[in-house]
Amino acid sequence: MRSPHLLLAASILASSALASPCMAEESPLLPSFVEETKTAGIDSIYSGEWEYMVGGGVAAFDCSGDGLPDLLLAGGSSPAKFYRNASTPGGRLHFDLQPSGLELDKVTGAYPIDIDGDANMDVMLLRVGENVVMRGLGNCRFERANEMWGFAGGDAWSTAFAATWEGNASWPTLALGNYIDRAKEMEPWGSCTDNWLHRPLAAEGDSERKFAPPVALKPSYCALSMLFTDWDRSGTPSLRISNDREYYEGGQEQLWRILAGEPPSLYTEADGWKPLRIWGMGIASADLDGDGYPDYFLTSMADNKLQMLAGPPQQGEPRPDYKDVAYAKGVTAHRPYLGEDLRPSTAWHAQFEDVNNDGLADLFIAKGNIAKMPDFAAKDPNNLLLQQPDGKFYEAGEKAGVASVATSRGALLVDLNLDGLVDLIVVNRWEKAQLWRNTTPNAGHWIEVRLEQPGANRDGIGAWIEVRRGAAVMRREITVGGGHASGELGWWHFGLGDSVRPEIRVIWPDGAASGWQPVERDGFYIVERDKPVKQWLP
Amino acid sequence: MSMMPRLAAILLLALFTLFAPVNSMAGSSREASAEQSLIAWYALVLQLIRHTPTYSPPVASRSLAYLGVTAFESVASGSDDLQSLAGQLDGLRPLPRRNAGQVYDEGVVLNAALASLVQELFQNTGPTGQRVIGLQDTKQRRLVSEGVPADVIARSEDYGRQIAAHVLAWSRDDGGALVVNMGFPYEYTLTAGAAHWVPTSLISQQQLPLLPKWGSNRTFAMPMGKSCSLPAPPDYSEDKASPFYAEALEVYRTDKNLTTEERAIARFWSDDPMLSPTPPGHWISIALQIIKHDKSDLEKSVDVLARLGVVLADAFIGCWETKFQYDLLRPVTYIRRLIDPKWEPLLITPPFPEYPSGHSTQSAAAAAVLTKLFGENFAFEDRTREGDGLKPRSFASFSAAASEAGISRLYGGIHFRSAIERGLAQGQCVASYANALRTRK
Repeated sequence: MRSPHLLLAASILASSALASPCMAEESPLLPSFVEETKTAGIDSIYSGEWEYMVGGGVAAFDCSGDGLPDLLLAGGSSPAKFYRNASTPGGRLHFDLQPSGLELDKVTGAYPIDIDGDANMDVMLLRVGENVVMRGLGNCRFERANEMWGFAGGDAWSTAFAATWEGNASWPTLALGNYIDRAKEMEPWGSCTDNWLHRPLAAEGDSERKFAPPVALKPSYCALSMLFTDWDRSGTPSLRISNDREYYEGGQEQLWRILAGEPPSLYTEADGWKPLRIWGMGIASADLDGDGYPDYFLTSMADNKLQMLAGPPQQGEPRPDYKDVAYAKGVTAHRPYLGEDLRPSTAWHAQFEDVNNDGLADLFIAKGNIAKMPDFAAKDPNNLLLQQPDGKFYEAGEKAGVASVATSRGALLVDLNLDGLVDLIVVNRWEKAQLWRNTTPNAGHWIEVRLEQPGANRDGIGAWIEVRRGAAVMRREITVGGGHASGELGWWHFGLGDSVRPEIRVIWPDGAASGWQPVERDGFYIVERDKPVKQWLP
Repeated sequence: MSMMPRLAAILLLALFTLFAPVNSMAGSSREASAEQSLIAWYALVLQLIRHTPTYSPPVASRSLAYLGVTAFESVASGSDDLQSLAGQLDGLRPLPRRNAGQVYDEGVVLNAALASLVQELFQNTGPTGQRVIGLQDTKQRRLVSEGVPADVIARSEDYGRQIAAHVLAWSRDDGGALVVNMGFPYEYTLTAGAAHWVPTSLISQQQLPLLPKWGSNRTFAMPMGKSCSLPAPPDYSEDKASPFYAEALEVYRTDKNLTTEERAIARFWSDDPMLSPTPPGHWISIALQIIKHDKSDLEKSVDVLARLGVVLADAFIGCWETKFQYDLLRPVTYIRRLIDPKWEPLLITPPFPEYPSGHSTQSAAAAAVLTKLFGENFAFEDRTREGDGLKPRSFASFSAAASEAGISRLYGGIHFRSAIERGLAQGQCVASYANALRTRK
């Protein structure tokens, strides 16, 4: 039997005026992944019924001080599970399930963030019910800090998170995205509950080490992903929110202007913002075209979106006017690319990382039916789309060995064994999470960078890391948020291709730029503010 | 209750049923019970249409037709005045009859029929929709069953389900039962030539047109999809002196100079799938608002909803038949090709051929049916889009509303004038068949 995908492709190519751009003549370096879920000791299911149809996140962060990212997996109606990373650097993956204090139930997602700047990673737990901020105590132990930090956990169905440090604040601002009003059983549509902005409690000339009561972000439209991002390179991040059109009335995607000391305000059509209404579920960002501005991939059902600024900046200032280039770049990822199931896809977590170290950011998309919706693919393989030199993407999920058809939700591409290749963890609804080790032979060179600055915002959230290799400059915005209920904080990975001696510099959140500093490829580096780059060895 | 009065009541009931071939639990409270069930299920259906991804406007119109017929036949089966639509609608055979001499409750019958139908027609909705359908079923069963004897409930529910099963069996071979890929074909050959439709978006799924075979579906009251065919649109021409160019220029200039009122009109009637109850749902919403406002009795309500559902479905079949007969390109394609390559219409251009305007056809058809039922110059206020932040609009008549719905597509930049004017004419033709249905004995 001929593959329905071949028949379909032939049919559309023959009949449509616009040929599909997704296949290039030459494929890029194919990555290779080996699933090590079982041998690595990962055994976790995102469980639960209606209130857990969204969420299902994973957080990666080092809480043991060995540089290896540890993992926290949301369990939905079951308790979350914490796994300490016991992998041998460069070797197979191995994790130990151990108590941490993070094992709460009703967790939908988790994001690491060092709130109090004590170098012990804290963790934000998004929940159905009260959100809980967990303070890191060191050695992978955590305690509830809602009361200590004045954090009002509320009682909502929380599904999105992002964080920033506003201006010179010594305490972060947290954005919490909320979904449907659970109490409105008969009228769930149009019942989106308010998102919250938890800003620092203002003190005289400074911020206290506590949160003020949250400000409602009105209107709210059932957020499933949020990201503080400096979209216009003004030095002040705005809050992008991807919303689920299934439940809002009169809603759309949102971009909030968040200026220190001022109430939040929405960008509008007068500013250049164009209404976009999708089943927004996840945000990934990267500067794909090298113009210095972040581009955004938004997951949805059927076609997904890739947004780039529509026009050049006017008088140096861009307008928030985005064009969708997903079709042109071959990343609509709107239906399964293998198997017999041709029904439209459902996409959740998305993330750009360079999986083959060729110097081009690739795109991973977690896919999975909401539950058992018959109009959408039941066997919906996750995507691994490789960016090519012409900016188009090539589907390599099957060849790379990560084309799982489990019902996926959250995920992370993160180097779990510190070998310079990003590995993959995916959380699945009603099925076991899956873990793959990246074993790509002949991959390009790489560096990984961690930021440190004294005092607040220790990890430099809001900074931009730039890596220069020859004439090309790769840029990465350091953020907390985005994806689908999943976040990581630690080493930031850059593929280098065959570059010999890259240089790095950091534009810190306050706009101060370090000088370019040469580094050896294939190494780990800690960039401390106003200090020479320091190599770190696993 | 003591034994004697209960026995007396049973005897009385037995005598009553003996001499009444078909009996209903009568009284205004029972009618109110049925009426609230009717309104509640329709309100839910409008939400489900909005939130079920396969529910493009043609698909919505089909379900609304079957829903209307089910409601009508459920009530007609216990009515002395209503005339069944069996034999009048294409393929609808006589429906199951109530058992002679037995008591039925109208609310329970109607509720069971609607619940069964909605569960089947929206079996593909998402988990939230499924959850609400279940909750609504439980709630409505409780409401309509209050004070009704258990045997009457059981009998009435069984009968209501038989009505629904009969309608569903009738629906399955009409050509529209199976919708895959949200209505977009996997294979289709675009018509060659500059005059013809080409994709207007960069959405992969929409590179082929929506439901190209919908025009060959079995009709309801109209004999066939071609029964209300239209003359060809103005000849395609790129000559600036041609009528075709003039129509395109009108769309372009109108869009460039929209007044606040015209912009509001375009948005009010945009009725986008997944973001509204769709155009047919909009007209059902209008009817429901009037039914509630006028406190229409149950028989009038089901008459309205059945005729309206039928005419909307026929309108989409007829319109789609014509759309794919002529397969005309959209204004955005022509205008970008010849007038302004960067032009963006106000509304999202729907992913199927232009001529005629579907909203115009179905709005004129709906207006003609409602005019027959409620009268000429029936003034009303339409609050359908209030939840989306769009202000209510007032109309002096149904035809005035239909005309506004039609011209809204020109304001929105998605239709030429000919498609609107001839669409309105096509709707009048389609309505003549629905209006000819005999619903009263």
